[in-house]
Amino acid sequence: MAEAKGHDYALFLGCIAPNRYPGCEASAIKCSRKLGINLHDMKGASCCPAPGAFGSIDLNVWYAMAARNVVIAEKMGMDIALECNGCYKSIYEVNEKLKHHDELRDMVNEVLKTVPDPTDPTKKGTMEFKGTIDVFHLVELYADPKICGPDKIRENVVRPLTGTRIGVHYGCHLIKPKKERHLGDTENPMWIEELVAALGAEPVQYRKKMQCCGAGGGVRGYDLVHALDITNEKLINLHEAKVDAVTESCPFCQLQFDRGQIEIKEKFGKMWGLPVLHFNELLGLAFGMSPAELALDMHAIPVDPFLKKIL
Amino acid sequence: MAKAKGYSDPKLEAKLQDRYYYREYSHPDFTKKVHDLARTVNHMCYQCGTCTGSCVSAPRSSYRIRLFMRRQVLGLEDEALTDPDLWLCTTCYSCTDRCPRDIAPTDVIMAMRNFAYQRGIVPVNFLKTVQLIYQSGHGVPNNDVNRAVRTKIGLPKDPPTTHAYPEFLPGIRQILDHWKVKEQADKIVAEAEKHG
Repeated sequence: MAEAKGHDYALFLGCIAPNRYPGCEASAIKCSRKLGINLHDMKGASCCPAPGAFGSIDLNVWYAMAARNVVIAEKMGMDIALECNGCYKSIYEVNEKLKHHDELRDMVNEVLKTVPDPTDPTKKGTMEFKGTIDVFHLVELYADPKICGPDKIRENVVRPLTGTRIGVHYGCHLIKPKKERHLGDTENPMWIEELVAALGAEPVQYRKKMQCCGAGGGVRGYDLVHALDITNEKLINLHEAKVDAVTESCPFCQLQFDRGQIEIKEKFGKMWGLPVLHFNELLGLAFGMSPAELALDMHAIPVDPFLKKIL
Repeated sequence: MAKAKGYSDPKLEAKLQDRYYYREYSHPDFTKKVHDLARTVNHMCYQCGTCTGSCVSAPRSSYRIRLFMRRQVLGLEDEALTDPDLWLCTTCYSCTDRCPRDIAPTDVIMAMRNFAYQRGIVPVNFLKTVQLIYQSGHGVPNNDVNRAVRTKIGLPKDPPTTHAYPEFLPGIRQILDHWKVKEQADKIVAEAEKHG
């Protein structure tokens, strides 16, 4: 559906990017435009909803709320692009499940019938999941040579991140479970490293690269020190590989790595001070956006040591 | 659950506690219930342990995904749903990617959490997210500090979601009310707070 009108996508924002790290949102809009990807507002979208919290208590609510967000984009006639792995799990997976399971779709549509229309909140009975669009993560679009690809990114870099070593944290829900995704190997993927290299930085391999950040599944809220211990193991392994920063494609992982380091200091007495940057923030820096434009001062762990190497 | 052995010394009775499972503990329909909600071939588990070996939570806790897989195959519903370790899965899906029987143990855990919730067993942090979404449409809502920063970097102070368009909130509340999750969340959170 996207090819008919060029690269136009409905931008699904989620919660943590717009409400905690707004630089991710600013950069997604600005940098994507430079790369020929136009992102459009999804008026009245909500939380995806959080797959760990909602999936754990009532899967039906999770299906219905995610479907409502999908229908907003269906009505815009656009595929969805988003920038959070958690949102990707909810929106991508529910979209696929409802496309392929009639009984789930009927159950969801029964409820959506009573929900106000996104183009006119006074109208009801017009919300229906039809299964007419697809869902993509922005990094997936950046990596896809048919849409963008690393070469196009390289051509647009005005401030190469030369001399920096960056570890990539893929996060879980972007690529796993692999049989429900289409993004290839999940044991040692390298395609985000290619994007990082296109920005001029040196992507660095480290031990247990594919390990979870620890926050998902409601564990961050349920047992904080358990979640932090997982994060701390990742930080040990990143530190051993002498990285200048860790990048990810998920604001929830970012929150866990960034604020998590403050909590690790409080609970375990260790201070890592490792800058954490969403891929979109890295992209913004490489495309010439200033740290102020990216609101990098919203980070709990100062990113200055990283900035010193590139500014 | 253990059957009493009738030893005269209560300390020995406790130490040598019967750890067998008996047929009467089993609810065979539990395996089917898990299957219907998790949509995976959960009964196929042959206990190889690849799941636990792949698990990020196992090395730092008593959580064993293989044990939960065994419990659901045997229909040991009470053991599975009342074990607090059920809530230590980060849903990273490593076990699912590596399972040689093509089962999705992660989805089995999610289904079992749904059944635990139906019994009123659920950590309150899950329910607080429900309450936040009911109020604002967002699990992590905006705040004044962030609004100021958004304005400074040229974004609207509220994102174009239910934050900027609260007229869509009633629709979201309708979805939550349809399955009575807000009601259930309020009830359990109030009880938890009463007991400190």
